Amino acid sequence: MTSSTTDNVGPIERLRSSVPGLDQILGGGLFRTGVYIIQGLPGCGKTILANQVCYGHVAEGGSAVYVTLLAESHSRMIQHLSTLSFFDVKAFPDRLAYISAFHELESAGLKGLMGVLRREMRTRKVGVLVLDGLVAASEGASDLDLKKFIHELQSIAVLQDCTVLLLTSGNIHRMAAEHTMVDGLIELEDKLFDARSERSIQVRKFRGAGPLRGKHSLRIDNDGITVFPRIEALYRGPSQESTSETPTPSGIDSLDKLLAMGGIPMASSTVIVGSSGTGKTTMCLQFLHASSADEPGLHLSFFEGPARLRSKARSLGMELEPLEASGAVEIMWQAPGEALLDETAERLLAAVARRRVRRLVVDGLSGFLESAVYPERLGRFLGALVSELRSRGVTVLMTLETRDVLTSVVSMPWGVSSLVDNLFFLRFVHDEGQVERLLTIIKMRDTDYEAGLHRMRISDQGMHIAGTYRADGDVIPSAQPAAVPEGPKPSPSN
Amino acid sequence: MKTILVVDDELGSAEVLSLILEEEGYRAFCAVNGALALVQAREVVPDLVVVDYMMPLMNGAEFARELRADPQFAHTRIILNSGLPEAAIRDHFDGYDAFLRKPFKVETLLELVERFIGR
Repeated sequence: MTSSTTDNVGPIERLRSSVPGLDQILGGGLFRTGVYIIQGLPGCGKTILANQVCYGHVAEGGSAVYVTLLAESHSRMIQHLSTLSFFDVKAFPDRLAYISAFHELESAGLKGLMGVLRREMRTRKVGVLVLDGLVAASEGASDLDLKKFIHELQSIAVLQDCTVLLLTSGNIHRMAAEHTMVDGLIELEDKLFDARSERSIQVRKFRGAGPLRGKHSLRIDNDGITVFPRIEALYRGPSQESTSETPTPSGIDSLDKLLAMGGIPMASSTVIVGSSGTGKTTMCLQFLHASSADEPGLHLSFFEGPARLRSKARSLGMELEPLEASGAVEIMWQAPGEALLDETAERLLAAVARRRVRRLVVDGLSGFLESAVYPERLGRFLGALVSELRSRGVTVLMTLETRDVLTSVVSMPWGVSSLVDNLFFLRFVHDEGQVERLLTIIKMRDTDYEAGLHRMRISDQGMHIAGTYRADGDVIPSAQPAAVPEGPKPSPSN
Repeated sequence: MKTILVVDDELGSAEVLSLILEEEGYRAFCAVNGALALVQAREVVPDLVVVDYMMPLMNGAEFARELRADPQFAHTRIILNSGLPEAAIRDHFDGYDAFLRKPFKVETLLELVERFIGR
């Protein structure tokens, strides 16, 4: 005889949100049967977020119901949503329905509203229920009434195996009674930074798991909402302090000879600092051109487009197209300014993972600066990015442009010098009426190097080191190797 | 005077429609879901119903099927409306006299009403 009791209670399952990036923040998704508040001012994306969860659930074979109180009309909402890629008219009416419960709320209060929600959960057997307009529901109700309402909703949600999203435009800074009751509180924001606005999402409360804290940026486009977790929160493990004994050839033989290891240490990060025209991109292109099927290369460019990079490489005696065609090289262009910082980082890391990139060029670190709405965050951002790339075994070359053309002092923004392993300094000097390019190696991790001032020549054969520049009587001050990076001075062992 | 029943869970929209219909010289009632509408319909026996599709408790299709099954509503004309395209609904119910995709202009509705039941 089989027993009719059930005691197979496991951990609570998760409900995938179908919002890219959100489940990463939540550590795997919402908890099934949880009751969550999605809060934010009008226009910040609550409706889209909730709909995306509904349609995603429907696409996986579930069903959902979207209950409105005093919200935009259903027909208008359908008109707006029908332009989004996840909209699916076939979901109606069996697996998705928009209904209004305002009449029940108006005539019978929260009890009447609860009646509708309970009935909808039961009769439609929905896995997701959205209640849009919690503010309307809470008007006139006491804190206790509202708490009881949410408590009852939680009980029904568990019994009916339904996850509930409550949307509200309520004041995000007020500690409301309902906040203490719900299983989670997700806040959306659209904030202006000068002329530019950036949307963000923050999980303020999440029972049962530790979400990635703080604000994460999000984008709303034809695919609905995409969340880009802050990379310093996503990759918050300790940075790997492994030493590297394997060199990665720089693509310039005469430069490799200056390095005791015979190349740039594998999985290290190098910043090439210099003013415009000193040869930063040229050095990067040489490095990129040394890519192969075994060591795929990726070039992230913020300022020069692929066509210009190809023609620049050609003028230096290097053809990139064959390498691109064979898959050894990829050029990724990102216009600076409008992109979200973490979106660019995510694109970059995804491209690195997709092709198992070993040689990475980030041409124009200031491109990240222009994407940042909080410039003071850049140090942490770059630290996380560099550390993640290092742990993936990628050797990175990054360029940083200085403003002054002839300078002996480099001030390094965002603590770059302490974030990176190796630092090259390129500059122009006057030499008997000629302009010369000089390279100074300021620091190198894991390998000795020839300090001093190295002449650099660029021709249609590429870039090479052409001996040492000997400072004599008529050297102008800009030729002195006096780079002054911010932060602690590199120790001799570096 | 011809009688019209407007059924929509978005009560604001039902109320506005019934007010306009009254101004046009009809006797108009409204209800917020199919179940309440059925009770109302048995009371006033409307000449025409303007019914939304997606509603709680009893949707427009279920309500309209009930009407069609009841001989006392044999003369009642049904205008079904929804924010969804007609194709998404026809499989569930096709016994209506006309379908209006929301949002529609009130003239479009009034023309249909006049065509079906006169003034």
